[in-house]
Amino acid sequence: MSKNMISTAFNHHRQALKLVLGRMRRNALSTFMISLVIAAALCVPGLFYLGVNHISSFASHIQDENEISVFLKLDADSAAIANVKDALHKNAAIQSVKFVSKDEAWQQLRVKAEKDSASSDVINELKTNPLPDAFLVVAKSSKPEDLDALKVELQSLANVDKVLLNTEWVKRLSALLALGKQIIFIVAGLLAAALLIIISNTVRMQILTQKDEIIVSKLIGATNSFIRKPFLYAGMLYGLFGGLLAIVMLMGIVMLFNQSLAQLSALYNSDFSLALINPKLFAGMVCAAIAIGWLGSYVAVTRAAATININ
Amino acid sequence: MIKFDQVTKRYPGSYEVLKNASFTIEAGEFVFVTGHSGAGKSTLLKLIAAIERPSSGTVLIANQNISKLKESAIPFMRRRFGLIFQDHKLLYDRNCFENVVLPLHINGITGPEAAKRVRAALDKVGLLNKEKAMPITLSGGEQQRLAIARAVVSRPSILIADEPTGNLDANYAADIMAIFQAFHQVGVTVIMATHDALNRAAIQNRVLHLDHGTLKQTGTASSEQSTA
Repeated sequence: MSKNMISTAFNHHRQALKLVLGRMRRNALSTFMISLVIAAALCVPGLFYLGVNHISSFASHIQDENEISVFLKLDADSAAIANVKDALHKNAAIQSVKFVSKDEAWQQLRVKAEKDSASSDVINELKTNPLPDAFLVVAKSSKPEDLDALKVELQSLANVDKVLLNTEWVKRLSALLALGKQIIFIVAGLLAAALLIIISNTVRMQILTQKDEIIVSKLIGATNSFIRKPFLYAGMLYGLFGGLLAIVMLMGIVMLFNQSLAQLSALYNSDFSLALINPKLFAGMVCAAIAIGWLGSYVAVTRAAATININ
Repeated sequence: MIKFDQVTKRYPGSYEVLKNASFTIEAGEFVFVTGHSGAGKSTLLKLIAAIERPSSGTVLIANQNISKLKESAIPFMRRRFGLIFQDHKLLYDRNCFENVVLPLHINGITGPEAAKRVRAALDKVGLLNKEKAMPITLSGGEQQRLAIARAVVSRPSILIADEPTGNLDANYAADIMAIFQAFHQVGVTVIMATHDALNRAAIQNRVLHLDHGTLKQTGTASSEQSTA
């Protein structure tokens, strides 16, 4: 490609961009409305993603998947505790055993509760320690079937009240998260199809209003790509504006959400909040919107090119 | 430069608009295409400008066969011509400058170089002071002059005009004819369709006369006058 051809191509792109930006500025309101529609459509899967992503990052912190809590009966005495301890140590499937006495657990609970007046009031009102003695057992295997077998075995020990597999709720959560991710994909797919149609229709209308210009340009020797360019830019710019607007909307929603969440999580003594800026999501949203915009206008231009005839 | 060899044009479901036309136009000629309305003048011009392709026969332009030209090469062929239409085909949402600059943009020429050429073209047709005006505010004659400026701005070697004076009164028409004469004098090939006998009688030029799609004579205007 010669230098001249490169500068011609560059000028074509610059001209097309200038032309489209001028048109968009003249129709600022309708440009804004289309961007708003795109932004709203992007926001829905974006919010879903933020929620699911946050919960799954939270869930991935839990690593002791093979941890089992063994709660003893409240009336178990020290001899009974020793018996259970002995049985646990002898079990070949168990890697380590840690005893948590009822007093220890009670202390831990009180320390935690001190931060929060409502729950410490409740605890102070309790005259006696309601907590049982417990063993924290770490199994050698982390296979679900091995853990289940061990659970049944431990359950059968004398003086054992309850055996809890800590991983169970993690499993349920990750199953739910997997479902959530699938829902995001489906919602995002449907909305992408809707966006494609919206953008393609918008660009098609613009092509019809620019019909004279297209005919004249073709007559005086414009190539198809020269005619297509401004409309492709229009589609991509709608995507870009929609994507940027979606980021602003999403940040606003997260801020609002975090505010009301702050009150709620203070009551639960947690600092759960959504991150305001998620570069991966934001970049993904904008890129997807631009790509959809380009594709939508490409479809529209190709369809229109077949119907607009200069002869 | 332009060579038609037994060219026939038939539109789908219609009679032959042009029948077995053979002629040659050399570089620098001023040729009139005459005939009643519906005689095939516009079709002949469209064939020259590569807007239509012949149903049979060959159209050679600068030694290139239009029928065998790839679709993607057509736009570049069309840039050799400056086209002027009876209905001007101006863009009414742009001012005069922006109308004239369009062919330059298509050729990738922008900036000061484009502005210089646009002003030169507007100057040639006497519209330099109307650069910022919208075409709708111009008179019919001025609009046609603007269309000529757009046709000549990329300095084509061939001008093709389809009844450029058809909608104009005699004064304006004379203006337009003078502009075409001026281009002809600097070596531009001019091909003009007209049914206006007055214009061509005044000038000693070659005439392609069409009668119901058949090329009747290829003489000069004066010889046609004498035989009439």
